[in-house]
Amino acid sequence: MIEFKEAAVVAPDSGVPILEPTTLTLAEDRISIIGANGSGKSTLARLINGLVLPVSGSVEVDGLDTAKHGAQVRRRVGYLFTDPSAQLIMPTGVEDVALSLRRVIKNRKERDDAAMSALKEIGLATKADVSVNALSGGQRQLLALAGVLACTPSIVVADEPTTLLDLRWRAHVGALLRSLPLQVIEVTHDLDSAAKAQRTLVIDLGRVVYDGSPKEAVQVYRDLMFGRASQGANA
Amino acid sequence: MISLLGLYRPRNTPLHRAPAWFKMLLLLGMSITCLVVSDPVTSIGITLACLLLLASTLPPAKATLRGMGFIVLIAALTTVFQVWRGEYIRALDLAGDLISIAALALAVSCSTSMGEMLDFVTALARPLRWILPPETIGVMVALTLRAIPEAARILVEARVAARARGLDRSVRAILIPSASRTVGFALQLGQALHARGIAESGRGAHVPEPVGAVEGEGSPAARLGEPPVRDATPPDSESGAR
Repeated sequence: MIEFKEAAVVAPDSGVPILEPTTLTLAEDRISIIGANGSGKSTLARLINGLVLPVSGSVEVDGLDTAKHGAQVRRRVGYLFTDPSAQLIMPTGVEDVALSLRRVIKNRKERDDAAMSALKEIGLATKADVSVNALSGGQRQLLALAGVLACTPSIVVADEPTTLLDLRWRAHVGALLRSLPLQVIEVTHDLDSAAKAQRTLVIDLGRVVYDGSPKEAVQVYRDLMFGRASQGANA
Repeated sequence: MISLLGLYRPRNTPLHRAPAWFKMLLLLGMSITCLVVSDPVTSIGITLACLLLLASTLPPAKATLRGMGFIVLIAALTTVFQVWRGEYIRALDLAGDLISIAALALAVSCSTSMGEMLDFVTALARPLRWILPPETIGVMVALTLRAIPEAARILVEARVAARARGLDRSVRAILIPSASRTVGFALQLGQALHARGIAESGRGAHVPEPVGAVEGEGSPAARLGEPPVRDATPPDSESGAR
């Protein structure tokens, strides 16, 4: 259960609001967040695992305040970035997943076995010892997901995880995320994927302007964007 | 030389089975011996031994030959210089030392995974735990090695971009985007580390975690194999932003 209590974020230098005070309770298993570039949706997502802290209000995950219990929150909330390259640290897949597990499994052999099994389950066992630089974008994103899942989070926040992927990998990663038996919050520009959620938030200019049925949310978002585009054309 | 990073391949050779501390000790001992001993016969013997050790790790041929080729070139230039000065024995000794140390360093990196190296550095840094958590020092080493090929890739891309804009000769058009993108990459990497909870383990390591959860019900294996277990809650258009 994720709770936003009047959580607000401002730009550190200029003080410009990035996210207006927001109150939300996110309990559904599949939640999508859509909105224009720079609307504040990634900031909202980053608040969930304490990557960004609110300047006022609070965000709680299972009753843990992200500002006070950041490390514990991050153990519950896995975060998947748009560009997996920045998320992968070690030279090979199995070593990268094992790095995520260092905190929980001290024995190297057990850690490597657990990493290997995580890779096997995600379909990357044959690439375990291949350099991360030699993997395709889709394989890298799968590897990043394996690193997240290996830590057994109860929530996965995915920030545009399929934006850099081709159609085949987009479908594969999207389906995989949807099949996870845990709470998945996906920030996306893929409206088809957003529509498959149970609940969708539309963010615009730092505010949640719609929260509810994915079908209606997509329509609200389209109206918002096309309305703005026609205003721009008339201006 | 960047191609020499990430040479490790899992094999079952004696050097692969040897612990990281032993290999590092061997490298240190051999380097000191090379510097102390100036006898050319001993030097050639050590060089052959080091080359044999490197071959015993069954390294990837292309990258190893390319890396060693560069070292041999440097050794050849040094030899030519020493011969020109009339110091034939010193020429042989210096070339042997260079090739020995490079071959042994390669043998160590070919046979030691980054995970092992991380464990070794972490153990080595334990006496400094009052200044910095040992795990953080280990991750710093891993990050440094990760950053080198990435910085090289950014530089190559900046050069291509500058060429595409017809600015082949502008150093500024290459260096400024390279520097800003490298900083951007570092920031992204920092965020990713933070998100993965890595290097928070200085204190976090003491927080009890369900180690058993890695296997069994909570494991990725179980997670991926099962359909979502929670009931689908109908979307609530009332709840939400206020």
